Amino acid sequence: MKQVVPLEKARDSAIFGSKAVGLGQAIRDGLPVPPGVALSGSIVEAVAAGEQRAINEVSKWVKPLSGPLAVRSSAVDEDGADASFAGQHLTLLNVPSSKELSSALSEIWWSANSDSAITYRKRVGLFTRPSVGVVVQTLISPDSAGVMFTRNPVSGADERVIEASWGLGEAVVAGIVIPDHYRVDRSGQVLERTPGVKNVAIRSLLNGGTIEEKVVPELVERLCLEDDQLHELNRLASRCEHVYGLGRDIEWALAGGTLYLLQCRAITVAGQ
Amino acid sequence: MRGAPIEVLERVPLFSGLNKRELQKVARLFKKRHFSKGATVVKEGSGGAAFFVIESGEATVFIGGKQHTTLKPGEYFGEIALIDEGTRMATITASSDLFCYGLTYWDFHPFVEKNGVIGWKLLQRMAKLLRETRREAHELEGALAILRR
Repeated sequence: MKQVVPLEKARDSAIFGSKAVGLGQAIRDGLPVPPGVALSGSIVEAVAAGEQRAINEVSKWVKPLSGPLAVRSSAVDEDGADASFAGQHLTLLNVPSSKELSSALSEIWWSANSDSAITYRKRVGLFTRPSVGVVVQTLISPDSAGVMFTRNPVSGADERVIEASWGLGEAVVAGIVIPDHYRVDRSGQVLERTPGVKNVAIRSLLNGGTIEEKVVPELVERLCLEDDQLHELNRLASRCEHVYGLGRDIEWALAGGTLYLLQCRAITVAGQ
Repeated sequence: MRGAPIEVLERVPLFSGLNKRELQKVARLFKKRHFSKGATVVKEGSGGAAFFVIESGEATVFIGGKQHTTLKPGEYFGEIALIDEGTRMATITASSDLFCYGLTYWDFHPFVEKNGVIGWKLLQRMAKLLRETRREAHELEGALAILRR
């Protein structure tokens, strides 16, 4: 069994976790996913245990990826655990290079064994050994980023709902800013543009990690997406629905004029 | 390096009945873990599946919100979770950058099942620790009764 594969070859969620397999499928279907590799749950554990062979193997695969890395957990399937473990398992952005990757993988492995993750596992009746695969990708340094629902998650209306902010999308996902709010219909017509209050942007630091950077006053309430970018997002929504089916929750980033897909999963409704 | 140095584990009372070879086997199950200053390491009342021995740095123990003691290199915590699947009995925070060696329930449980001799020694050690704790509790109760008179 291969323990590390290029992301586009990740097909088995019992080995690589559902995030890796979902992104692999996206690449195979021609969606704009940043390049990366998928690490199996067992090689992540071997790296966390300090096994030199595993460290060397991961290092060999990750070396060709340029620039700083995004290291994301990909929970190995346990009754659809990936979605339910969102927030329990770590994602580490801006790991400077393959050299620092081992400690990042160790942190992620331990996050699945942390007290909060174990408490959660007990509550949902999953007091079993966790296995956490990892996706390692080239980190995008976006001008703007955020989330998009291909259908309105509140009203159920057939329209795209987009939330966006400056810098890395974690500012939107973690609720650090009030993001811009957009609604776009399937034909690409913009139905709503409401500027948010984007006081900070999360940016990558030169030596690793991220920082909450103050946004200059004139950009705080200025919309961070132009109409042509909204049209491009609408096209991405259609392509994702074509590949995965209706009702998708998408994380995206725009960097240097290129739109990237970072994650695509089914919309989960509160209470389900 | 894989596992924990056995000199670190030799100081842990739970493992004090094991010989060097047995201790080496246990040491291989440990993984290194880092906590930043201020991080909550374990939380009172929460579930837990790992036991830690401090390699470097310090940690503060709180019970019922009150500061109890400080743990230093060579000291350990969370050993009960290795055995009973119960909840944490204290909150422990990293008072400096903290490096530990951690052993999870998932590694320890099958290991003890496969290594009956080690399991028996650990059981004996646990019984001894329980007896010591009972004796201490008894002495404290006696002292308390005298103070109440």
